[in-house]
Amino acid sequence: MNKLLRKKIVQTITTGGEGHIPSSFSIVDLIDVLYSKHLKFNSTNPTWAERDYFVLSKGHGCMALYVVLEKFGFITQSDLDQYGNFDGILGGHPDRTKVPGIEASTGSLGHGLPIAVGIALAHQIRQNENRVYVLVGDGECHEGTIWESALVAHNLKLNHLCCIVDYNGSAAQIMPHPNISDQWKSFGWNVLNIDGHTEDEIDKALCTFRSNQNDKPSVIIAKTVKGKGVSFLESHGIWHHKIPNQLEYNAIIEELDK
Amino acid sequence: MRQTFAKEMLNVGQIDDRLVVLVGDISHFALQAFAKACPGRFYNVGICEPTIISIASGLSHAGFYPVVHTIAPFLIERGFEQIKLDFCYQELGGNLISVGSAFDYSGLGVSHYCYNDVALIKSLPGTQIVCPAMPNEFTTIFGMTYHNSNLTYFRLPEVKHGFNISDDKIELGKAIKLRDGEDITIIAFGPQLKTVVQCETMLRNLGIDFELIYIHTIKPFDVKTISDSAQKTGKVLAIEEHSMYGGGCDEVMRVVGNLMGVNAKYISIPNYFVHGYGKIEDHYEYLGFTSQNVLNYCKQLLGLK
Repeated sequence: MNKLLRKKIVQTITTGGEGHIPSSFSIVDLIDVLYSKHLKFNSTNPTWAERDYFVLSKGHGCMALYVVLEKFGFITQSDLDQYGNFDGILGGHPDRTKVPGIEASTGSLGHGLPIAVGIALAHQIRQNENRVYVLVGDGECHEGTIWESALVAHNLKLNHLCCIVDYNGSAAQIMPHPNISDQWKSFGWNVLNIDGHTEDEIDKALCTFRSNQNDKPSVIIAKTVKGKGVSFLESHGIWHHKIPNQLEYNAIIEELDK
Repeated sequence: MRQTFAKEMLNVGQIDDRLVVLVGDISHFALQAFAKACPGRFYNVGICEPTIISIASGLSHAGFYPVVHTIAPFLIERGFEQIKLDFCYQELGGNLISVGSAFDYSGLGVSHYCYNDVALIKSLPGTQIVCPAMPNEFTTIFGMTYHNSNLTYFRLPEVKHGFNISDDKIELGKAIKLRDGEDITIIAFGPQLKTVVQCETMLRNLGIDFELIYIHTIKPFDVKTISDSAQKTGKVLAIEEHSMYGGGCDEVMRVVGNLMGVNAKYISIPNYFVHGYGKIEDHYEYLGFTSQNVLNYCKQLLGLK
């Protein structure tokens, strides 16, 4: 569990006065391991033709991606300092026309996966080796376009496509998935189940995807905790889109410093 | 027009290997020649229109020129949020090509009618809208635009207007003056040129010297040609198979609204659902897309009995 990135997430969102802290905590370890060990990129040339792609489909968790992009030099601390400002490049959902390293502008759920299918198809047509990763929420898996895309990706044999499901169970309060792994399996995908906060498990799952020899797309169901790392954020209630006050901020940092 | 579309995909696809065609389970057989000549670049994706739009945006992001083709209400109305967010907001170029706009699927009811596709696409930044009603209008403009950075919507009608316009007069965003006149300007959009041409003799017999302007491109709109003609004649009638809200007639009224002393009327689809079926001609008659109605409107504008 990366505490340093979590502190940066809280600092930036608190200063900017906008954002989704628990959703970002839920996915930050997944994104960090992906960029640290697997994704092929060049932060000084974000549109490098040989790069792999990462699409954050659940755009409201974008602060987790912003802090990773800053860590790897796509954007700067100054960009993070301007987060939420009208003239800044970073806001509550990512904008690919402004932010180096953002492959798709997302926000409305159910868009990122089909966009990723299109990118993967483009590279399949060209017989390129570029891989495409896309992160969706389990709540987002209520959207019909997720399952339309899942069917299309299987039908087109997009085996360079890897979908990561942030399975924090938040949306289960409304409409649970009876068995999300079986759902993806029944759509013809390779399915891996992991803990989404354990670096070693994330790493191994991504290695498995990269060494996959069959013609199926792969999905990693990452069991996560919304707000992971701070006890009072670990819930599905008021903290979803809440900005901490000074006392709450201090309490969050104190827990992360332990 | 569907065969023209299929042939144009073949022609362009053989020259440009960045053209990819995605369809939502229509025109599959018509596009087999393209599929054979351009392997790996034709996909009958399935019946999942919003997803097809998003996939096309991903293809565009990765350097292809996507074409998405299906029936207008499913392409534009069902896929609207994907068009807005995945193409327009992200500033990605692409092509949407429909059949079955307005009431072209005249016997299938409102689920298959599409009155406001132009209005929807027009409202989005970074879009172009072309309503060709002869094969060379489509092929000429598609050839000019398919690879640009806009999202271009081609609305292919069931009925052709049948009036031959040479390729050199066809240009994106340019209205075409087909007849000079002094008394009244008649502006016909797409297939409705046919209706106006059919009443030419009746207009002449009444001594009405009409100026006739044909429009295939609604966005960008040729303000100057309309404005110049309206200022000359002082009276304008526009006719278009689209909702009274947001189509080409709206553009005409916007232009005319800025001019002093010009009276204008339009024939378009009123703001209600047509629950009838039948043939296209039945819809024309019911909604007033007839030569007699054009004549009546002209007489009203000119104060003739």
